[in-house]
Amino acid sequence: MPPSIHPVDLIVALRAKHLTPAIVFLTSRRACDEAMQAFDHSHIVLPPVRQEAIAAVLDKVIAQYPSIAEHPLIPIVQRIGVAAHHAGHLPSWKIAVEELMRHGCLDAVFATTTLAAGVDFPARTVIITQSSIRKSRDFMDLTIGEVQQIAGRAGRRGKDLVGFAIVTPSPYIDLTVLTKGFTGHPEAINSQFVISYPMVLNLLKAHPLDQIQPILAKSFAQFQLNQRAEVLERKLDDLRVQMDPFGPRVCTDWIAEWQTFDQVRRQKTHRAPIRKFESPEIAARFHFLTPGRVVGFGRSRGVVLRQYRSKGQKSPMITALRQGGGITESPASTVTEISDRILDCVDAPVYPWCTPGTVEELLQSLDELPTKLPELPILIPKSNEPIPDAIVQILGDFACPTCPSRAACQNDYPLASKLRQEQQRHIKSIQALRTSLWHRFQEKIDVLQQFGYLTPMARLTDDGEWARLIRIDHSLLITELLRANAFNGADPAMLAAVMSSISNDDDRPGSFPRVSSGLASLLGQVRKLAASLSPHEEPPLLRADIAAVTERWIGDPTLTWIGLCKSTSMAEGDIYRLLARTLEFLSQLHTLKATHPGLADTASRAIAALRRGVLEELP
Amino acid sequence: MTTEELEQLLAQQPIALLHRLARGRVQRHFRAGKRRLIEVLLRHSAENRAGFESDLMTLIGEKPVQPAPAPPHATTVRKSKLSAPPYRLGKRPAGPESQEPGITLATWLEGLGVPSSLQPFIPDAWQENAIAKLRESDVVVSVPTGSGKTYVAVEAARRAIAENRTVIYTSPLKALSNTKYTEFSKIFGADQVGILTGDRRENRQAPLLIMTTEILRNLLYDAGGGEIDVRLDTLGLVILDESQYIADPERGVVWEETIIFCPSQAKLLLLSASIGNPHDIADWLTSIRQMPCHLIKHSTRTVPLRAGYLHPNGKLSPLFRTVGIPHGHQGHLHPEAKRLFAQYEDETQPSGRRR
Repeated sequence: MPPSIHPVDLIVALRAKHLTPAIVFLTSRRACDEAMQAFDHSHIVLPPVRQEAIAAVLDKVIAQYPSIAEHPLIPIVQRIGVAAHHAGHLPSWKIAVEELMRHGCLDAVFATTTLAAGVDFPARTVIITQSSIRKSRDFMDLTIGEVQQIAGRAGRRGKDLVGFAIVTPSPYIDLTVLTKGFTGHPEAINSQFVISYPMVLNLLKAHPLDQIQPILAKSFAQFQLNQRAEVLERKLDDLRVQMDPFGPRVCTDWIAEWQTFDQVRRQKTHRAPIRKFESPEIAARFHFLTPGRVVGFGRSRGVVLRQYRSKGQKSPMITALRQGGGITESPASTVTEISDRILDCVDAPVYPWCTPGTVEELLQSLDELPTKLPELPILIPKSNEPIPDAIVQILGDFACPTCPSRAACQNDYPLASKLRQEQQRHIKSIQALRTSLWHRFQEKIDVLQQFGYLTPMARLTDDGEWARLIRIDHSLLITELLRANAFNGADPAMLAAVMSSISNDDDRPGSFPRVSSGLASLLGQVRKLAASLSPHEEPPLLRADIAAVTERWIGDPTLTWIGLCKSTSMAEGDIYRLLARTLEFLSQLHTLKATHPGLADTASRAIAALRRGVLEELP
Repeated sequence: MTTEELEQLLAQQPIALLHRLARGRVQRHFRAGKRRLIEVLLRHSAENRAGFESDLMTLIGEKPVQPAPAPPHATTVRKSKLSAPPYRLGKRPAGPESQEPGITLATWLEGLGVPSSLQPFIPDAWQENAIAKLRESDVVVSVPTGSGKTYVAVEAARRAIAENRTVIYTSPLKALSNTKYTEFSKIFGADQVGILTGDRRENRQAPLLIMTTEILRNLLYDAGGGEIDVRLDTLGLVILDESQYIADPERGVVWEETIIFCPSQAKLLLLSASIGNPHDIADWLTSIRQMPCHLIKHSTRTVPLRAGYLHPNGKLSPLFRTVGIPHGHQGHLHPEAKRLFAQYEDETQPSGRRR
């Protein structure tokens, strides 16, 4: 069995059950295009009457938007009555498809789920083929709201008595996600309040700094933060009730009092810890128990042959050659005396840990040693810091040991302190919830002051006055570029190309026209600046290949739209969107006439050059 | 009891019971899925059928609620389920599983068709309500897609224009703005409607202005800075279409700013698709605006929706056991759809594992 239904079979099945017109939501643009290709040689053609109806509607749209007259999909659309509609198409093509749907001429439209919100035409039936959607590189399950948004396109008011949402499986579909989406209650929506640099500048232009906090407090973000704070406050009230029995006793703040007393008590016991393994004395002396060292064991003497730590023994060990010729293994702690004398000793890796000759020599020299040997002065670190005098003093000051409520305090302390900690944690989080927006705003103010758009009194500087007019993404990068005079002497094509590479956030690979060397070096500078601004603003992708598309379009006024499309593997719709966004960015630069007349002029010339062909004809 | 009956009985039992039954009989039974477990149990039961059956009966008897005896007409459905039992569905759907059979395809398709034409358009009660409420307060409308939000917008705008007030209508996408511009120009006349988008400015002194939300936000910024661009003093109504965009990670903040800075003399009309917490939005508006905000919400669609399942071999079946969508009961799948989907999963995922 095929992993999913063949598009032709799908249309046949839908027609048979009178479920057309339908919108078929597919995973990707490519899936839509492949579905259209499937109809290339199919015989499920429409009756001539309907074909003529389609042609009539198309003619009307083409009259308005001549650019789609040659569209490669037109023959299939006319013959079969199906069309594709996705972001890769020109808006004019999408308008044509929508118009055809509105007239009821088509049987099916293949669309991408990503554009469910943008698909503004209903149908009798909606076909759902997947349960997840690509969101910034990851596939995510559709939310209930999204499933209902998609299903919502089914059923035309006034044209249908019922709408149908039909699931047809494809690999990796999860039916549970869809059934949940159909039957569930849509998710709650949350505020996505982002504080941007233009927002700060524009707010400070209109309002003095001390009025900003009340304005931020009016946001939906703060409303929702307050809701969370209220939940915590209710918890806090509960805690207050639970804390009731732990009110003031002999001392008003007995919890804190007991806590310090308890700590001090514990510190006292810590003064003499149990020495489990090696005492500092032994640890310090062990360094000197090297082969050849003469040591004393009580009354007798010996020479150290080797030292070791063994798993079986808890303390460090030494092997020693005793007077009289015995070789003993003993803990380092049995050494009572370490003399300042080392005998020659050639050590060996195996018992007796030195060459047999040396044993004789050692024994002999051991006997020849004088009875009194100088002792090695070894510095032993102090075992523990003694309690600071202050605490020792305080310990005497505590009333607790003799206090009448001592037993109660000791008993209640664990619970009471836990409750109090929780209380303090909640108080802190409530404070954070109430002030987080304001803090985020202040962070942005700090950055803007650092760059000189705001005075230390948070008023707009001269630069700030014009910078607030740039209200697009990456505004800090753009204003910094202007201050660095990066576009001095740049021609309209270069300016537009840089703007388009700043505006573009699509990382899809492809083939693109060649970049001119001037543009490449300018983009290199922009990239450097963007990298230096990265702590304050997420740098844009700044793709040179994308910029080259715009450069070509503006630089060569004779270039036709088709010529431009042929020079790159970008989809028509993507090129259109890129140029439209560039247009938006350029028109923002155009608003800076008063302060940057040269730049505004270049921008308006770029706009004029950009708006031709398809871009002029479209709304 | 025949083997078939036994298998059927086992299939009806919860998996926990099967595991208890398998204890001591089958090795490593905890690793098996339900179908495999039944298979192994049946193989094992051949050795001591009587003992196995009595154990099964004791275990079933222990259960506090005995499964209700199946209605006689359900046997056919049960049989069809048996060939590919329902537990093959990945995650087990929540909700009670009633044993009723699903509706037939014919019933499901019934009612398909075009409403008799020349039916006069009668606005729904909620639409009337929204327009009436807008007279004295802000209104948040949260209704399913395709319920006729535009009608409310048009009527509200018509009234405001008649009162010599400026109306601003915003949409999230430039394409939608253009569509609405064409649509409203047809309704109100071309001279009454203007449009302002990033690169298009037409008839900006018209009483009804269509723009993207970003443009309105910028206008309000400039008004705050003292540079009046459009006649904000006569502004009487601001319509924010698709206002569920307030939750958009990148652009949501624009909607918030627009609402915060919206002049107090203008009424706000927020039109949104079904969302989970419209009352939060309404409460928020009430808390920051001078007048209390009214919430209009309903979840029934104007055109009822039915869900279906189309198998890759072209076989169509209802998705749910009921004709409409069983809200709140996602487990009420149609047995036929369940069977077909289980079959699909079996065939496309030979290992029997999901993904």
